[in-house]
Amino acid sequence: MNRMRWLRTGVAGVSIAALGLVAGCSGSGSGAQGSGTGTVKMVAWPGPEGDAMAKVAKAYNAGQGKKDGVKVELTLLSRTDTFSKEATLMATKSSSFDVYFTASYLIAQHAPYLTPLKNVDSSAYFSSAVKSLQVKGVQAALPLDISNHFMYYRTDLINKLLSDPTQKATYEKISKKVVGQTLEPKKPADWNWNDYIATAAFFSKKYNSASPTKYGTALQAKNLVYNTMIWDDVLWSFGGNWLDSSGKPDLESKAAKSAMEVYNKIYTAGLTSPDSSQAEFPETQAALTSGNAAFAVQWSAGYADLNNPAKSPATAGKIGVAPVPGDQHKTHVHALAVAINKYGKNQKAATKWLTYLGTSGAMTDYAKSGGIPAMPSVLTAQSKVNPIYRYVVRDLPTDGFAEPALPKSFDISTMLAQELSGAWVGQKSIDSALKKANSDLAGLAGQ
Amino acid sequence: MTTTTPYAPATTSTDRPLRARKHRRPWWKTAVVLFIGLIINLPLLSAVLTSFKSDADISRSPLTVGLHFTLDHYRNVLAGTTYDFPKYFMNSVLISLGAVVIILVLAVPGTYAIVRLGFGEKHLLRAVSSLRLMPAIFFAIPFFLLYNSLGLYDTVGSLMLVNAFLNLPLAILVLAGALRELPIEIEEAAFVDGAGTYRTLFSIVLPLLAPALVAVSVLVFLFSWSDYLFAVILSSSNATPVTVGAGNFITSTGILWGDISAATVLSVLPPLCFALFAQRYLVSGLSVGAVKG
Amino acid sequence: MIRHNAKAARWVLTAPLFVFLALAVAYPIYYGIKTSLQQRSLLDPVPSWAGVDNFTAVLKDTGFWHAVSFTLKFTVVATVFEIVLGFLLALLMNKHFPGRKKLLSFLIMPVMIAPALMGVMFRLLLNSDIGIVPALLDKVGISISLFSNDTVVPLLMVLDVLQWTPFAFLLFYSGLQTVPQELYEAASVDGAGYFRTIRSVIIPLMLPILFITGFLRAIDAFRTFDVIYILTGGGPGDQTTTVSIYIYKAFATGNFGTASAAAVLAAILMLPLVPVVVRRLAAPETKATR
Repeated sequence: MNRMRWLRTGVAGVSIAALGLVAGCSGSGSGAQGSGTGTVKMVAWPGPEGDAMAKVAKAYNAGQGKKDGVKVELTLLSRTDTFSKEATLMATKSSSFDVYFTASYLIAQHAPYLTPLKNVDSSAYFSSAVKSLQVKGVQAALPLDISNHFMYYRTDLINKLLSDPTQKATYEKISKKVVGQTLEPKKPADWNWNDYIATAAFFSKKYNSASPTKYGTALQAKNLVYNTMIWDDVLWSFGGNWLDSSGKPDLESKAAKSAMEVYNKIYTAGLTSPDSSQAEFPETQAALTSGNAAFAVQWSAGYADLNNPAKSPATAGKIGVAPVPGDQHKTHVHALAVAINKYGKNQKAATKWLTYLGTSGAMTDYAKSGGIPAMPSVLTAQSKVNPIYRYVVRDLPTDGFAEPALPKSFDISTMLAQELSGAWVGQKSIDSALKKANSDLAGLAGQ
Repeated sequence: MTTTTPYAPATTSTDRPLRARKHRRPWWKTAVVLFIGLIINLPLLSAVLTSFKSDADISRSPLTVGLHFTLDHYRNVLAGTTYDFPKYFMNSVLISLGAVVIILVLAVPGTYAIVRLGFGEKHLLRAVSSLRLMPAIFFAIPFFLLYNSLGLYDTVGSLMLVNAFLNLPLAILVLAGALRELPIEIEEAAFVDGAGTYRTLFSIVLPLLAPALVAVSVLVFLFSWSDYLFAVILSSSNATPVTVGAGNFITSTGILWGDISAATVLSVLPPLCFALFAQRYLVSGLSVGAVKG
Repeated sequence: MIRHNAKAARWVLTAPLFVFLALAVAYPIYYGIKTSLQQRSLLDPVPSWAGVDNFTAVLKDTGFWHAVSFTLKFTVVATVFEIVLGFLLALLMNKHFPGRKKLLSFLIMPVMIAPALMGVMFRLLLNSDIGIVPALLDKVGISISLFSNDTVVPLLMVLDVLQWTPFAFLLFYSGLQTVPQELYEAASVDGAGYFRTIRSVIIPLMLPILFITGFLRAIDAFRTFDVIYILTGGGPGDQTTTVSIYIYKAFATGNFGTASAAAVLAAILMLPLVPVVVRRLAAPETKATR
């Protein structure tokens, strides 16, 4: 029937045309410098970084931005999805955004999609922050926010321990039992891992029925890429590293084993809640704010709330800051950063915005809005805004380290969390976990 | 609605000539069901409770006494400056309603043709069911490319289309079952009376299908309302629905438990209203598609 | 019963569906399969042909098989419980009792919460320091750690059952509600007790709906992602890594080729379920049940 055939062909034709249209138009072309004016679209995280960025953008739009002829528009994406969303955008060479949010641990993955930055004043920033954003000698992103770890402890509880002879005696007994050596209570800034374990046992009801807290500490043992960064502190504190000096995987070293044993001991001896196997940042905060833990290794971003009476009345004013314990005090450092989309259509305007972000004025606004800028001078000048600032300035240059800058760093951290978290909580043997991690590392490090 | 047996709601116990007529009302059932309801709704109850607690109280054990009641979290959600929740709600409503409309337009005639007019029945049903097997993330990049090239990125329209796509298998399965229910004689009678295919479909079959249509609508609405993954991929600032908006309370300095609980509680209200309203139809509608399908 | 003038109508009626499927389905499937055959990741902006390399890499990965076996275990246990409990709940709600109408809405509320948000709500509810459940358990004297190595898998299954039984319940309830009164009366006249009636009359009638619900839940349980990822991230180690989490992690590390290959393999694994349900639906009408 003519009508039938017409209909059949019609439907088929429309379908095929639609397919072809779509298949042909995948992704946009190359980027463009643009006129140097107009709207600059930027991705950001919610939370202090995003709030702070919003305020800085507002100030810019009302001030310098008017002179530059540039208006900045911020889009907040949830923390968990920002990077996977950006992965989609980058993979399709999208021009939807002009400025991307990135981080030291992802810069190697993102670099192919970013335009290198010129005229970045490295001296204004922490050198580790700037270096961590360089790929193949090129500055791929501008440092924004800096993150590292500290050990937060309850000053009231620790002071009591240090001054009270009865508590001291109990401490010595417990340390002999749990660590095998008789230790004396020390100031947290001087702890090595044995002190950490002994004090954790002292503050755990399991070993000390008179303990004011349920558990001594809160371990972040969830299978999560950010928890690998914390464990790396322990590895580095024993002098270990992902790779040895010749660039080969070094996870079966003595240092690595010791680092695993620390975590394993803390969990299996019951010095932290058994739920720690699923704990990360928010759970650690909860353990401290609820008064169920006496101290913990935590991110620098956690300090502000712990010290805020409206957010955590149980700990406000009673939180001390110490470097991460160990034979050496080492802390992982990474920077959150902003970068220019290679496929964006407005790169000149984006550069103007980034130039503004590189000024101490912009970073001061950023600090005042709750972020932790990567500029030492700003941190020192604004130390009243957030007491953690002076610790960052003090400790970062000496204690800070960054993991080897490999193209697949993020994969490696993900893999380490996957392979090691089982052994952290006693589900797997330490040796077999390290062995597997080491061989996977060889593959991911490109050997 | 006709009053043939399959569509009539079940009669109540007072109408039944049971052997032993119970005069005692079964309060035990109320108690048991209430208990079950409380257990399965624990997350929601916890959310309600948390949404009214101050941050300070949330940071401590929930059994501490002297709790401070606050509306701050609802204020943050609804009147906050950083996020535009009223817009997110509007987006969610539009997306869900849009998906429902698209599905009805596509699936009703299509399923009718498949089931009644014998159009590639087995193969189409099989293909459509297989669609549901793919993990959602498989479609993430292709959809992104697709909608980008159509100029529909970050529009409510693209999310309507995506959610329609995601729920098509469900709709077709339920409608196919429902169509099987209808006695073929009615349509044959209409044909004998001279009605064409379209006339039969629209004037006769559709009204009979009403309960199933409402059932499909409510389910599609619920699932579109709760979509998260595709909303993240395909929206950035204009088309953000409530689910993604609520995710913004997960920050790098911690989860804002109070705010996200308030957002969750608010996000349940529209679907709840929708479902309450359609409850009567939902139940009998689903059964039309299911019992004998 | 294809009528003469219906031939054209068939096409017209299904045209919108076809066009939509072509756009929304054919293209993504084609693209996804193409990606699975490419060496494609964020580090390789220009994709190169990889043939079956991605597939062999995934098939050789013990992590993938572990995810499959865990997901299968999880799916079977969760689905069985949801079907059984949903059915029992539907039976309980079948006949009238005080407050039934209001409780009906209360029972289906979990379906209205987006799974992503539900995960966060669970995280709060079950937190050992600030969550209600551990606090209550503690008060009652049960000090159990919900997320410890031994309890985490059963916990996840329980949470899935709590979240999705309402969905199964709703489908069964509506099915039960349309069982004609005459059948109950006929059965009681024949002297059948309550349980006998259920077994010989109700369940055979409800078989189709049992299959459809089982199919829908099994597929969705196999693809579970949000709650588990939010609560455990797939850990400790890969103890609770599901297939979806495995795929997501590949995607999140920018390994699109691997992620697509794993997704294709996952779909192939579930294919056997499809004919089971389609056969039920495409079955000829049985006039005997009317």
